[in-house]
Amino acid sequence: MMNFDISDKHAFMKAEALETLRLVIDPELHVNIVDLGLVYGIDINEAEKSIHVAMTLSSSYCPMGESILAAVKNCLEKHYPAYGADVELVWEPAWSYDSITDEGKRQLGLEK
Amino acid sequence: MKYKKHHYSVTLAHYLSAAILFLALAVMTAFSRDAFAGHYFQPRILAITHMAVLGWGTCMIFGACYQLIPVILETELYSTGLAWASWGTLLPGVISLVYAFWVFEPGICMQTGALLLLVSIILFTLNIYLTAAKTKKQTIQEDFIFTACLFLCFTALIGATLVFNFTMAFLPQGQLHYLRIHAHLGLAGWFLLMIIGVSSKLVPMFLVSSYKNDRLLQVSYYLIVAALIAFSTDSYFFGLNIKTWFIAAVGVAGIGCYLVYMGKCLRGRIKKHIDLPMKHGIFSFILLIAGTVCIPFIIYYYLRHGQLDIRFTFIYGIILIMGWITALILGQTFKTLPFIVWAKHYEHLAGKAKIPMPADLFKPGLLRVQMITFIVFCLSFVPGCAFGLALLTGIGCLALLITAIIYVTNVLIVVFHKTKTYDEL
Repeated sequence: MMNFDISDKHAFMKAEALETLRLVIDPELHVNIVDLGLVYGIDINEAEKSIHVAMTLSSSYCPMGESILAAVKNCLEKHYPAYGADVELVWEPAWSYDSITDEGKRQLGLEK
Repeated sequence: MKYKKHHYSVTLAHYLSAAILFLALAVMTAFSRDAFAGHYFQPRILAITHMAVLGWGTCMIFGACYQLIPVILETELYSTGLAWASWGTLLPGVISLVYAFWVFEPGICMQTGALLLLVSIILFTLNIYLTAAKTKKQTIQEDFIFTACLFLCFTALIGATLVFNFTMAFLPQGQLHYLRIHAHLGLAGWFLLMIIGVSSKLVPMFLVSSYKNDRLLQVSYYLIVAALIAFSTDSYFFGLNIKTWFIAAVGVAGIGCYLVYMGKCLRGRIKKHIDLPMKHGIFSFILLIAGTVCIPFIIYYYLRHGQLDIRFTFIYGIILIMGWITALILGQTFKTLPFIVWAKHYEHLAGKAKIPMPADLFKPGLLRVQMITFIVFCLSFVPGCAFGLALLTGIGCLALLITAIIYVTNVLIVVFHKTKTYDEL
C-alpha cells in the first residue's frame, strides 16, 4: 500500500496517477495491478516532466511481465501527455499475499 | 522475460500442426475400432500410437517449449533457425512413419520417417542444451527438462533401430522385448519428466501459489530417473521379473512426490478460482494416477504368464497417451496460445485502450463442451477396450472426434484473432 505525504506538492498528482494505474489489469489474475499490490512507488519530476514508477511482479519469470510494464508506461503517457513515463522493476520487498489490498482479495475470491 | 514475438511463427506452426494431427488421430482411431480389441503390437495401433505421441504430444510440446523454456530458464532461446529445422523434419518424419505403420510397409518410407524424426529430436535437444548452457542458475526444472530431452533421443534411437530391424533382423531378441524399453523411455523418460519440469514452474505461477519448496521435486527427479535406468537395464537383460516390482515402486514413489508437490501448490494458491484449462490439468493428474494403478496388474499377470497382462498394457497405454497427455495438452493449449497471440496483438495497446484479455481470445463455451466430450471419451473408450464392448468403444471414438473438431475450431479462433479495441480508456 502506497502512502502519500500531503505536504508533498505532487501528492495529489501521485494519488491520481495511482488511481489511473487501476486501469492496468493483470492478464492472468484479472485484477488491477494497484489492488494486487504490485505498485511500490510513484515519483514525479516536474523539471524533467517525467513520472517514475517502481513496481514488482507476482513472479520473476512471469511471461506477461514485459506486457504489464509496457501497459503501465502506455497508461501514464496517455493520461499525462505532457509527461514521459519510466517503469523500474524491483524485487525488494518481495511481493506476497499480504501485498494484495482488501479489494484485490475480494476480487480473487479470498475474502467474502 | 516474456512471450517472445520472434518465436511466434515457429510456435504457431507447431501448435497448428499438432492440432491438425490430433484431428487426424481421432479419424484414424474411429476407423480402427476393431484393432483396439486385439494385441497392441499391430500396424494400426502402432500408427495411432506414433501419431498420438509424436504428431500430437511431441509436436505440441516442442512448440510450447520454444516459448516456455526461455521463461522457465530465464534466458533467450538459442536459435529459432534450429527450431524451424526441427519442425521441418518432424512433420514429414511423422507422416512417413505413421503412413508406413498404417499400411505396414517396413521399407524405405518407414526408415526415412524414423531417421527424419531422429534428426528432428536431436536438433530440438541441441537447441534446448545450448539455451540451458546460457543460464547461470541451476534449477531442478532444468534437470528435468534436459534429462527428458536425452531420454527422447534414446527413445528415438531405439525406435529407429527397431524400424531397421523389421527388414534387417539384426537384434538378438524379438521386437516386443525392446518395445517395452522404447515405450517407457518415451512415456516416463520424455513425457513425464518434461511435463514435471514445465508444470512444476508454470502451475504455481498460473495459480499464484505461495508454496515454493523444491525438495519434493528433487526427490521425485532422482526416484524417476533411477527407476527408468534400472528398468531399462534390468528388462534389457532379464525381461520383466521379480525385481520389476521394486523398480516400479521406486518410479511410482517419484510420481507420488510430484503429485504431492502439485497438491501443495494447489492448496497454497492465491487464485481460488480454477479456470477450465486448469480443470483439464487436474483431470489429467487423475488419469496419470489411473494409468499408474495399471502397473502392478501388468507385472502380476505377466509374471503369472496370464493373458491379462496384454489387456492391462493396452489400457495402461490408452490411459496415459490418449488420456493423461491429451487432457493436459487440451487444457494447457488455452493457457499458453491465447497469451502468445495476445502479446503479439495487444502488448502495444495495453494501458492505452480497453482491450480483450488473453482468456477472451478463445470461446469458453467450446472449451466447456470439449471437456465434457473428452470425459465421455475416457469413460467410454477405456472400459470399451478393456472389456471388448464395441458399443462403448464406438461412443468413445465419436466423442474423441467431436473433441478434436471442437479443439481445432477453438485453436483456429485464437490463431486467426483480429485485433480489436472496445473503447478508449
